[in-house]
Amino acid sequence: MIKFCDVNKWYGGYQALADINAEVKRGEVVVVCGPSGSGKSTLIRTVNRLEEIQSGELMFDGQNVHARMSGTQLNRLRSHIGFVFQSFNLFPHLSALDNIMLSPMKIKGVDRAKAHDKAMQLLDRVGLASKASAHPAQLSGGQQQRVAIARALAMEPPAMLFDEPTSALDPEMVGEVLAVMRSLANEGMTMMCVTHEMGFAREVADRVWFMDAGRIVEIATPDKFFGNPEHPRAKRFLSDLRTRH
Amino acid sequence: MLINIYHIIADNWLLLLIGQFPNGPLGGIAATLLLSILGIGLAFPLSILVALARLSPWPVLSWPATALVYVMRGVPLLMIIFWVYFLLPLLIGRIVPGFLAMVCTLVVYEAAFLSEIVRAGIQALPKGQMDAARALGHSHLSAMRYIILPQALYNMIPSILSQFVSTIKETTLGYVINVPELTFAASQINNQLLTQPFEVFFVLASIYFAVCWTLTQLTNWLERRIAAKRAGRGASELLVVDGVAVIKPETVQEVRQ
Ligand SMILES: Nc1ncnc2c1ncn2[C@@H]1O[C@H](COP(=O)(O)OP(=O)(O)OP(=O)(O)O)[C@@H](O)[C@H]1O
Ligand SMILES: [Mg+2]
Repeated sequence: MIKFCDVNKWYGGYQALADINAEVKRGEVVVVCGPSGSGKSTLIRTVNRLEEIQSGELMFDGQNVHARMSGTQLNRLRSHIGFVFQSFNLFPHLSALDNIMLSPMKIKGVDRAKAHDKAMQLLDRVGLASKASAHPAQLSGGQQQRVAIARALAMEPPAMLFDEPTSALDPEMVGEVLAVMRSLANEGMTMMCVTHEMGFAREVADRVWFMDAGRIVEIATPDKFFGNPEHPRAKRFLSDLRTRH
Repeated sequence: MLINIYHIIADNWLLLLIGQFPNGPLGGIAATLLLSILGIGLAFPLSILVALARLSPWPVLSWPATALVYVMRGVPLLMIIFWVYFLLPLLIGRIVPGFLAMVCTLVVYEAAFLSEIVRAGIQALPKGQMDAARALGHSHLSAMRYIILPQALYNMIPSILSQFVSTIKETTLGYVINVPELTFAASQINNQLLTQPFEVFFVLASIYFAVCWTLTQLTNWLERRIAAKRAGRGASELLVVDGVAVIKPETVQEVRQ
């Protein structure tokens, strides 16, 4: 469903992504991890073209994401890819409900009543039906991130991307967000998650991609990766991660 | 001297208030305020377009908008008043009344300055807002309209009001092309009395000061209110966070251990 073929990206003279070849199959959950600055955010942001690539090919659901296309085509493509940010990025001037309703109404032309029903359903699903009229600043970080997930789901994307969705949260709120992600995975959603939550990766991921210095240096099942990583950099990364926790 | 000031006001208050209206054109402080309101009111929508053009990825739009802003910032308002007053009639082939020329000048001039305020307001928003909008599939314009501008314009209300105060002071320059506003009225009074320029212009300054000071106070109040509204939400956020932290079972366990 998401396929990278020889993808390279430079920021000026700095190569942020090098020879990326990997695939997320339909219904698969892939966890991307790696040290800070290894290019995880850059990688995930190329999938919906928030970042451009300089060479190679990136397919999403049969479409070449980085082909030359009109703005309208690109917007339509992006609306099929759910994206959840580390910093939530809810729209602070809108209530939780309006955050979720805005895009279906303005982009897909869904009428208000339908959008409202769908949004309430999604809020219920992330356990926040009672917070429909709250503004983002009145919500805790964990609640904001759950609304952000609901907002992305409202566009009914066939795949969801998560860029460190729990890194900005206080530890006691991580669980509630992971629970929502876990239930999505169980329903067969195709997911690409940048995260360092090892428990989540072990339990939910079909595959782990480990990145270092702009390259994917190891692709393995979670059991293999956490039990017996091959790449020396991955070994060091995991032991660092364990000592930190 | 206080007596003189009293007499000036007592004899001329209507002239200072509305000029020779209804027997002549509207003047005095009413015309000053009307000029300022028209100037800012019409400049405001234009300034949003100029700001969007400056920030747009297309050079055909951003270049002319940037040029307009630089010219307006680099040229004294008086020059622009002269250009409009003397050049516009040559271009359109008929005389332009002073009031209209002044409105046109103010609209163009204020649009350039307001557009810088709008642009700063847009750029001050976190980059994640635009990222989130684009990731959902909004076009650049749709993101601006529904997500960026509503936030930016709300934050800018105090700046726009203080630009309005500057505009009130700038309308005094209309005097040079005989726009019948407050300064014009005062100088009419001065020409009548001949011997009391200090008192006349003291009254004039006091009126401007009273109006501008009031508006500045209003601006400050609004600024505090907008800041308080953000902080208030922030405070309630802390409360909610605390609430969650307190009732979470893990926390209770941690406390027990
Ligand atoms: N806009 C940019 N311009 C120049 N360099 C950039 C830019 N964005 C990222 N980089 C560089 O690219 C590299 C990869 O960054 P990226 O944000 O993808 O890392 P990451 O793996 O997500 O790290 P983190 O765990 O800290 O989020 C970093 O060295 C970073 O400094
Ligand atoms: Mg990152």
